Amino acid sequence: MKLSFSPQDEQFREEVAQWLADNLCGEFECVRHRGGPGDEHHRVAERKAWERKLAEGGWTCIGWPKEYGGRGASIEQQVIFNEEYARAGGPGRIGHIGETLAGPTIIAFGSDEQKQKYLPGILRGEVFWCQGYSEPSAGSDLANVKTRAEFDEAAGKWRINGQKVWTSLAHESEYCFVIARTDPQSVGHKGLGFFLVTMDQPGVTVRPIEQLTGTSEFNEVFFDDAECDAADIVGAPGDGWKVAMGLLGFERGVSTLGQQMLFQNEFDAIVKLAKDNGAAKNPALRQRIADAHVGLKILRYNSMRMLSGGGDGSLQKEAMIYKLYWATWHRNLGKLAMDVLGQESEILDEAPYELNRLQSMYLFTRSDTIYGGTNQIQRNIIAERALGMPREPRG
Amino acid sequence: MDFTFSEDQLLFRDSVRDFLVNEVTPERIRGIWESDSGRDDGLWQQLAEMGLTGITVPEAHGGLGMDELDFVLLAQECGYVALPEPLVNTALVAVPVISQLGGQAAAEWLPKIAAGETRVAVGCSDNGLAEDAAQAGLLLWAEPQALYLLTPDQFSARFNESVDPSRRLYAIDIAAGVLPAASGEQAAALYQAVLDRGALGAAAQALGLAQRMIDISVQYTSERQQFGKVIGSFQAVKHHMANVAVRLEYAKAPVTRAAYALARGEAAQVAVSHAKLVACEAANLAAKNSIQVHGAMGYTWEVDLHIFMKKAWAMAGTFGDTGFHKQRVAEHIFADGVALGAGTTF
Ligand SMILES: Cc1cc2nc3c(=O)[nH]c(=O)nc-3n(C[C@H](O)[C@H](O)[C@H](O)COP(=O)(O)OP(=O)(O)OC[C@H]3O[C@@H](n4cnc5c(N)ncnc54)[C@H](O)[C@@H]3O)c2cc1C
Repeated sequence: MKLSFSPQDEQFREEVAQWLADNLCGEFECVRHRGGPGDEHHRVAERKAWERKLAEGGWTCIGWPKEYGGRGASIEQQVIFNEEYARAGGPGRIGHIGETLAGPTIIAFGSDEQKQKYLPGILRGEVFWCQGYSEPSAGSDLANVKTRAEFDEAAGKWRINGQKVWTSLAHESEYCFVIARTDPQSVGHKGLGFFLVTMDQPGVTVRPIEQLTGTSEFNEVFFDDAECDAADIVGAPGDGWKVAMGLLGFERGVSTLGQQMLFQNEFDAIVKLAKDNGAAKNPALRQRIADAHVGLKILRYNSMRMLSGGGDGSLQKEAMIYKLYWATWHRNLGKLAMDVLGQESEILDEAPYELNRLQSMYLFTRSDTIYGGTNQIQRNIIAERALGMPREPRG
Repeated sequence: MDFTFSEDQLLFRDSVRDFLVNEVTPERIRGIWESDSGRDDGLWQQLAEMGLTGITVPEAHGGLGMDELDFVLLAQECGYVALPEPLVNTALVAVPVISQLGGQAAAEWLPKIAAGETRVAVGCSDNGLAEDAAQAGLLLWAEPQALYLLTPDQFSARFNESVDPSRRLYAIDIAAGVLPAASGEQAAALYQAVLDRGALGAAAQALGLAQRMIDISVQYTSERQQFGKVIGSFQAVKHHMANVAVRLEYAKAPVTRAAYALARGEAAQVAVSHAKLVACEAANLAAKNSIQVHGAMGYTWEVDLHIFMKKAWAMAGTFGDTGFHKQRVAEHIFADGVALGAGTTF
């Protein structure tokens, strides 16, 4: 047990802070503290330029192994990077799906050819990815995907037909990783494949879906004979579920660190607001703010504990619990922010429908308990896999 | 940074767990409830033989010289079996405070505690009543401005029956003319230490209690059948238990964090309050939901669940209740110049 950083780590912290101070300014001033959840539509062009700037400094994909162009940064260094990034007001990362999901999946399961083809673009901050899992009939029941992939022997390519939905940032992405059925006779998680699909082609149509925030971050994506090279299936046909689940494991790892920093900044903003507008003197709100602080510390300590690995034996269980915990905590924080704002919470910043930072946070947090596995599904998983309770009957 | 326990710490925990689960059975606890003293001298001896009564006693005084981090895992195991004996208060509160006092008191009492020759009781004016005062050779009684080390002839104790039959609680009257072992600023600091250490002990036991109630409930709901199926396969039942599992698993790290702060002599108040709040919430939720999923069975004296449920109830109220600890956290957050944003890892 050692709950502190080494002198080398602190030196690394200074390096990160200095680089951010020198670079997150000028043309990037307009994206500081912007582009996070609920604010994804803000200044996309500038934020894409920022991704390239980060890459120039070697600050994309710092946790990737050196042989794939990363820094092989330790967990501590990744913690520190994320802390300093948030402290400096670093903009919401458009590259995060590539950096934390697609990249690690390709590194773990992909072929050498796929690594050479796809990793450099992510590293350079030039190529963006989206996640094609959910479909109209496959939400919680993800294994029910109906999108088909057939191999066209003559053309030597896969042809993909079907529809994805709720695809975040599809309209800003060069590639999508898609789970599709390679064996038309199969049902459930057997007979699926994991495909790396180019978005800019005639067979792919992206249609935005407006969210209750009035903005659109997610989309419908239609595949009509969309093409995918024979070399662009990750693993073999039939391995799709294994790869897809491996990817979800990455979703719960270090990629959560940046998110927590965002939470800390949000909490800080709420405390400042409560001090300024007098809500801090309201005993009921004081108690809820204290509760929120306790919850935040819990998240922080547990991800430190999860990431420092170790043979506690219960860490597996912790990883399962993480999504349910943070999503519920964050949803409550959103409501708390509105209650601290008081009546002002109802008034928009500007017409038409320009939400302020806390309002968009509140609305966005309504979705936290849905995407990435709903709270109900998480509880099923915890009860059955962590506690070993009897499985529910499935059709 | 490393948020894990060492192999040695975990091995020791495992052997203590085996011992406690075998020796401190619900049947034995029910037997202790029926006894006159409400304590089991044989059990205290067994604990001493394992080295547990002297676990935090410095080696120079015949103990194992371990620290709060080593013991916090064991305190959870004490909770798991709802140990009636005052081991947690001894190792986590009395011994470190007496060690801090040093001098004659330490030289006289620490070896006896380590050898299991006497029990030591801990009381604090914030709790009002002192646990085990009539069963101990020494009572450590803490007030905000005075800390007393009392032998049985120096105070009188009046028994107050607790809802938790495992707890032996006494109102204390200190005899006229008895002088405190510490007063003024020193006593104030020791009072704080008693409160924080006691709260950490309660929090750690609450974790173990929650785990025990989950284990009992998972087993019961995996066997009991209704509508032709085991009730544990119903989502409404499952989600009750999943909610407890989440609270429990995530209360562990704050408890570890607080033990670390105490072991390092860092400012521990906020960390202890975090730990106490979340661990006791976990245990209370475990109690509530475990009774629910047992149906009427959970409402009986015969089923063991209430042994753990009542201890959890007691742990939540002792060494600062929810209101007290939330207040401490709120004061911290709203104090001027506190860093709360990104960068405040620990
Ligand atoms: C903001 C946002 C971004 C998203 N981004 C992406 C993305 O980029 N890529 C992608 O692939 N997907 C994305 N999604 C989709 C997301 O993964 C799904 O919404 C989610 O898996 C739930 O599926 P569903 O919406 O179809 O709800 P349903 O599965 O229809 O669930 C509806 C309700 O029924 C409950 N329910 C369903 N089954 C059970 C059961 N067995 N037991 C108990 N309760 C049950 C659910 O908990 C929920 O309350 C996104 C969603 C949101 C909100």
